[in-house]
Formats: sequence, C-alpha cells, structure tokens
Amino acid sequence: MSRYFISLFFTCLFLFLPCAMGTAQNRPVNLDRKDTTVYKQAYGLRAGIDLSRILVSFLEDNYTGLEIVGDYRLTNKLYVATEFGNEKKTIGIGLGNDVDNAEGELYNFTASGSYIKAGIDYNTYENWYGEQNMIYIGGRIAFSSFSQTVSDYKIYNSNRYWNPEDFAFGQSDELEFGGLSASWLEFVVGIKAEILKNLYFGGSVRLGFLTSNKEPDNFQNQFIPGFNKVTEGSRFGVGYNYKISYLIPLYKKANTPKEKKEEPEAPPVEDAPVEDAPGEDTPSDQDTPGDEGTPGDEGDGALPPN
Amino acid sequence: MLYFWSGDSVNQQRIPMNKLKIALIVLLGILSFSACEKDDICIDNDTPLLIVQFYSAVDSTLSKDVQNLVVKGIDGSELRDTIPNAALDSIRLPLRVDRNTTSFTLSRQTSIDDINIDTLTLSYEIKELFASRACGYIVNYAQLQATIQPDDSVWVQRIIVDTALIENSATTHVKIFH
Repeated sequence: MSRYFISLFFTCLFLFLPCAMGTAQNRPVNLDRKDTTVYKQAYGLRAGIDLSRILVSFLEDNYTGLEIVGDYRLTNKLYVATEFGNEKKTIGIGLGNDVDNAEGELYNFTASGSYIKAGIDYNTYENWYGEQNMIYIGGRIAFSSFSQTVSDYKIYNSNRYWNPEDFAFGQSDELEFGGLSASWLEFVVGIKAEILKNLYFGGSVRLGFLTSNKEPDNFQNQFIPGFNKVTEGSRFGVGYNYKISYLIPLYKKANTPKEKKEEPEAPPVEDAPVEDAPGEDTPSDQDTPGDEGTPGDEGDGALPPN
Repeated sequence: MLYFWSGDSVNQQRIPMNKLKIALIVLLGILSFSACEKDDICIDNDTPLLIVQFYSAVDSTLSKDVQNLVVKGIDGSELRDTIPNAALDSIRLPLRVDRNTTSFTLSRQTSIDDINIDTLTLSYEIKELFASRACGYIVNYAQLQATIQPDDSVWVQRIIVDTALIENSATTHVKIFH
C-alpha cells in the first residue's frame, strides 16, 4: 500500500517537475533589455465648474455666482486655461465696528457683472506612471464688466442735531452706476487631482493685480466680479476657487522627454527628472532620485528599502 | 507630505519637494497677507457745518459779538434745542441734509426784557458725495441763499452769503451785520 503511494509520488514528481523548472528558467536574463512600451497620456479639453461659488450662492443670501473653468493641454506640462463667470454680491457697510443688521448700515451696494480670464497653467508636479495630477502655477489676463447699485445709503454727519437717532437717508432710493469695467493680471497657484477616471477635483488661490479700474462717478468699486474685494489704496486682490472638472480626452500622446538625448552620454546614473514611463524603478534609479527627495529628507515617510 | 490618492506611495521620494515647498510658501503668503486690511473708520470726511460770522453794521470789517445769542432750529412748528456757540461773534449751524431749506431762530438779549428774535432761513442745493468706504456719502451744499424773515423788530440789519458752496467748515459762509 505504501509502495503504491511512493511510486505515485515519484510519477507525479517527474511529470510536473520539468514544467515547473521550465517556467522558472526557460528565458535567459536579458541584461540589456529595452523598455518597448510607450506610455501615452491623454490630451484633451477639461471643462468644469467652480463648486465654491455654487456653495456660497446657496449658503449666503447676498451672493450668487457661477464660474465655468476649462483648460486644454498643449504639452506635457503646459495648459491653456480659462475661467469665466458671473457674480452678484451685496455688501453692507456698517458704521464703526461690525453692525451686523441692515439697520446699522451706512450704505450697501450690489456689484453685479460678468468676467473672463484666460492664460496658462504650468504643471510643476512630476506624475508617476498612470497619474494625471497637477500642482501648478499659472497666469491670467482677466476682464470684468459690471455695474454697481448703491441702496439704502445714509448721509454721514457727525453733527446729530437734526437727526439724533440715526443718520438721515439720502435723497434717492438707489444710485445706479452702469458700464463699469476692470482688467487685471492674476497669478495662480493650484492643485488638480484625478479622483475618478477623467474626473478631476482641484482648487486654486489667486493673487490679482488691477491694471485698469473704471470707477463710477460718485462711488467706488469695492467689489469687482471675478476679482473679488478691492482694498482701498491697493491694486492687489485675492481670490480662490474649488472646482470639479471632467476631461474630454481627444487624443493620446507619449511624452518624449528632452532628457533622452543626453542618455547615451550618461546612462542610468543621472539625476534627470523622472519621466512618466514604466520600468524605471531599478535600484540604480532609486539611489539617485533627484536632488529633491534623497533618503533622510524630512517628512518623507515611506521610503522604499534600498 | 502631500501626495495624491492614485499615487504609488512607495515612490514618495520622487515628489519634487522643492517645487512643492515653494508653491506652499507662496500660497501661505498670499493667504496671510489677504487678511491684512486697513481699518474702516471714518475720520477724514464729514458733512460740513455752516459758519455764520457776526459783523458790525457800522463798520463791515469789524466783527461784533452778539449779546446772549441763542440759536434754535425750527422743525415745522416746534423749536429744537439750543445750538451751543463756541465764540460770541460766530456760530456753526448744522443744515438739514434731507431738506432744501433750514430755518433757525436767532435771539439776541440786550437786557432783561429786551429779547429780539429773528428768523434765519437758508436754502441750498444738496450735493451727495461719496467720501470713502468708511464714511460713505456726505453732503456738500451749493447755491446757498440766506434770508431774514422780516418782522416789526429786526436786529439783523443785513445778511450776505460769502461762500455759496459749503465744502468744509473752515471758512465763513454767511456774514450777518447788526
């Protein structure tokens, strides 16, 4: 009985061993192997919407706004980008310290208009294989056309003889100033991350510099749609957005990095920026990953074992 | 540090840390400076007061004090409180910003039972001007006209408008000779 089992065991062994060995050692190790897979990245038009403006429109009574964002990929790192939208914001100016109710306001105004921004984004983030994320800087030229409406304004008068309780209201119910415009330059810092296939979530902070500002005759542009708040005596302004956008892929293109030309001279041990190609995780590459992320760099958490 | 969801966390060291840091520093800088703002307190602008100066009717260059001058504003049929006067030969009067005319009673008391009350009426054009973000709108007055209500005993002999445009409270706008 036991002999039967032993012979069965050896039969099995001799039957399967060649296969097992064959899979393990059939191919000779090619040390000079070239990577023949071409990594192609999707190029196309990315269109989206600013979520923050929608959210604030819902949350605040005195604001409605909508912004459409879009960009088109030109090269591996360069994008043309645009934002356009419409904003309407009412701001009440209280006297002195914050007087939050409308009764305490010295005046309030509504700025309403449309704007368009166009420029470029430059991706500074080195994506790994399969990634389409961005940490970008960019510039915009922006233009806004808007109107201002002042309502419920009171006449500031430190003498309270005739109106002891409050300032007297002005003669008109509303003062309207139309046909106003402003243009500015914007510096953008932002991120975009692909959260689902072709669906991106991102945000940006903007520093604006007013180049022209057509002021109303008897008022002041304190809020410009698209530019945000105008600070008195300063041309600078800040803005932000949080956007969700969808990439409509139009074509795919492989990134042909410039570093490839230099490769014959100084093969694998150069600290060239990593391309978005697979098969680069060779140990020699990890030894010199670039000047930025040397092992021991602060805060780098998970380093691969060397 | 910052990495994305779809990223392979083993390859962390490939994040260009310098560029990331620069981007974050710029971002933080913008955010921190965006909070700085000038205080919105109205100090530089105000609706001006009307300056009335009293001169001698005999010598029109000589300023002349009014004895026991009491000035009250007329609001419809009733009188308002006395307007305090800083000097004896001049008084600063507030004009109404919501009407085109303002009237005052000027009372001069030379002795116990000699009280003479004249009515001064000022009419003007209101110019609402946007002063600043903190002050909002103020009023300047233009085309000022001053008249004394004639009654049986008038102590004001003559009144002239020196400056018809009231933009500040530094100059004399109305001269009253008595």
